[in-house]
Amino acid sequence: MKTCSRRLLALSLALLMLIFSASAMADTVKLKVWGSQENQELLSELVEEFKAANPETEWDISLGVVGEPEARTRYLEDPAAAADVFAFANDQLMELVNADALYEVTINLDKIIEENTAGSIESATLGEYLYGYPMTSDNGYFLYYDKSVLSEDDVKSLDALLAAANAAGKKVFMDVSNGWYIASFFLGAGGTLGLTEDGKQTCDFNNELGVAAGEAIRAFCADPAFQTGDDSVLVGGMGGSICAGVSGTWNAAAISEKLGENYAAAPLPTFTCGGEQKHMASFIGTKILGVNTQTQFPLEAMALAEFLTSEAAQLKFFETRALGPTNINAAANPAVLENIALAALSAQSEWGVSQKLVLGGYWSPAEAFGLEMESKSTGDMQAMLDTMVAQITQ
Amino acid sequence: MVIQSTKPDKKSSNALGAFGKWLTHVGRGWQAFFQMIIEGDWATKLSVLIMGFGSLARRQIVKGLLFLGSEIAFIIFYARFGWQYVKDLGTLGVVEQSRVLDPATGIRMVVPGDNSMLILLYSVLTLATLLPLIMIWKANIRASYLAQKRAEQKIPQPSFVADARTLLDKRYHMTLMSFPLISLALFTALPILFMILIAFTNFDKMHQPPGHLFGWVGIQNITDIFAGNPFYQQTFFGVLLWTFIWAIFATATNYIFGMILALLINKEGINYKKMWRTFFVITIAVPQFVSLMLVSKLFAETGIVNQILLNLNLVKSPVPFFENPNLARVMAIVINMWVGVPYTMLMTTGILMNIPAELYESANVDGASPVRTFFSITLPYMLFVTGPYLITTFVGNINNFNVIYLLTAGGPLAQNYYRAGKTDLLVTWLYKLTVDEQNYSLASTIGILIFVIVSIVSLLAYNLTGSVKKEDQFS
Repeated sequence: MKTCSRRLLALSLALLMLIFSASAMADTVKLKVWGSQENQELLSELVEEFKAANPETEWDISLGVVGEPEARTRYLEDPAAAADVFAFANDQLMELVNADALYEVTINLDKIIEENTAGSIESATLGEYLYGYPMTSDNGYFLYYDKSVLSEDDVKSLDALLAAANAAGKKVFMDVSNGWYIASFFLGAGGTLGLTEDGKQTCDFNNELGVAAGEAIRAFCADPAFQTGDDSVLVGGMGGSICAGVSGTWNAAAISEKLGENYAAAPLPTFTCGGEQKHMASFIGTKILGVNTQTQFPLEAMALAEFLTSEAAQLKFFETRALGPTNINAAANPAVLENIALAALSAQSEWGVSQKLVLGGYWSPAEAFGLEMESKSTGDMQAMLDTMVAQITQ
Repeated sequence: MVIQSTKPDKKSSNALGAFGKWLTHVGRGWQAFFQMIIEGDWATKLSVLIMGFGSLARRQIVKGLLFLGSEIAFIIFYARFGWQYVKDLGTLGVVEQSRVLDPATGIRMVVPGDNSMLILLYSVLTLATLLPLIMIWKANIRASYLAQKRAEQKIPQPSFVADARTLLDKRYHMTLMSFPLISLALFTALPILFMILIAFTNFDKMHQPPGHLFGWVGIQNITDIFAGNPFYQQTFFGVLLWTFIWAIFATATNYIFGMILALLINKEGINYKKMWRTFFVITIAVPQFVSLMLVSKLFAETGIVNQILLNLNLVKSPVPFFENPNLARVMAIVINMWVGVPYTMLMTTGILMNIPAELYESANVDGASPVRTFFSITLPYMLFVTGPYLITTFVGNINNFNVIYLLTAGGPLAQNYYRAGKTDLLVTWLYKLTVDEQNYSLASTIGILIFVIVSIVSLLAYNLTGSVKKEDQFS
């Protein structure tokens, strides 16, 4: 009799637990987060911390691998199936807002504005609204160089840089057939990218300044020391056949490992543009965490996004991946200030141009023009730039 | 080898006549149908409005209830589901998604608006159900009329079970065909119809549901390609020209070299025939996409081939295999041979062995040279037998997505092309427009144009092939 009642008790307890867990299941907050492949490990760690910090809710948070550059494309494929919280590069902001993809930040707005650098807040703002949580401010490029080959003076101008490289029989790397990098010349010469009132791209890269910049690109590509390719070419050749290269912080670890003591970074050099020396500009952008308007749990998603971009989280991103923080306190951390690559990036930011007003239609035409340059085209510069601008602005 | 085929309509000029005949046939069918309504009694006439009434009146209860039930089901379907979408079909929605501040949570909540894509999709679905509705409606009147006739002639009405049994006997073809037909309509015809309709809208990046609406623009996308937009125009005709050059060369080179390879291996005096054949077949065993991606890395600017050439001092700077437009095109055709020749070799080996040996013997007696024998006996015979195969290969090459996309990804990009490169085929351009650009309307228009081109080419080529024209003879 006794065992029987005990069994009954166990059974009823088990039943009770089942009911409890079932009712908890119904309240489960299900969220999906998109981040880049390299950030997965850290993101899952932070998500666990977030869960631990908010034990009153039953969380079901999953991670998906979608890098910041692809976020817009993947989102637009099927907004309802996209992640609730996703990281994107801020040049996609315009198109994401156009697609009504992002919740405006309205909760703790003042605190977020106060805690992050003005530039990063600006990069996530359109009109009167802040459309996301600034995450990292390192979406830019500068010059890595080999101290054993080049002096600090050599990297001040492109002409001196190429002369020194040629003298040493080494190469200078820049991926000119990429809209992101090639813009450096046009923007440096004084060109602008903007938007019309109805949201179409404007571009004046085909004016007189643009033609001068185009000729500078042609001359650069024709130089024997010129080397193009992708990241693997730069990282592979650095310290060997390549003595200097234009890239961003994501290659810092690999390049510093290859160069060892000779590892150095500087802002981009000046270039000769129509007889004058002009400083090469760069796109400067941030990575932003946005909340999908299609989410079932907007409040919870916002809380998660805020947590993933907090000071502590940003410091972790810096420690593990050397990503530059947007959080003012995190950016003032001594370890951040000492970072060679981030220092070069912040020095380059004087010539930085926000990527916010660049639409998706810019990249392919700019790449096509870059390919023409790399293949040492002798075509009429004005005509080529007219075609490029017509393609960009259509 | 003899191609077994039923005789098709031989002359294409007959097609118009056949269509006319079909039209008359359909017209007669409807005429007979309306005759039934006119000759029908009050029960049959009432069946026009209340389905199943005629059957119920003749005490065919189950049949009548089924008709009535399907009418009610259709009415409920249209009222509860279909109408809300179909009513907006003309505009594809007018209310955009908007935001309103929710005081409880303090966030600007999304207020859903009309979703143009769902309106279009469900409208197509709803309108498509009209077809079965009309068929059931016609069947209902026919059943009522036949029942009326039977009653007039005092023939007892068949029971429902007896009616249903005919589905396994007299109308067995209906039972067999209904499932494939329904799935064909649902999974092929309807999606294609939906896609075709998108070609007449402005569904692109700037008009992306659910945030934004898209609407009808008529044939603007087609006129844009042919005249309105110089970049679309240059891209379309440039890509089209290369698509044809590619298809012709890819088909011809694979065919000829595959055949020559097969001839070489078949030749008397060649030892280890099986081993040679096995070597070439092994390349088939490696998945095509693996070979292609490997080769594209091999010939990249920093790839192994260029490194070897540089180290041997054969070239001063890397050879732009995939960066130079003309070289990239040649590379695509050459590498495609490597992928495709073994297939042709395998197929032609069998056919070559079937060529009557006496043809060669008599050629030998007449003192014909090997080249002469090839062009007078082997090639005509092969072309005769493999004509239809060549057409399918040609059409397959027009749409050969794999080789181009995995090898060059359409590159190098061209300045005067709209989001396309110098080795892009129409189909890879279409892919880029959908996946990278979200320009669905333009992509859909190109899809229609590809269909038109491919069908014209195949019909023309098919009708001109020797094996169709003179299917029963080889001379």
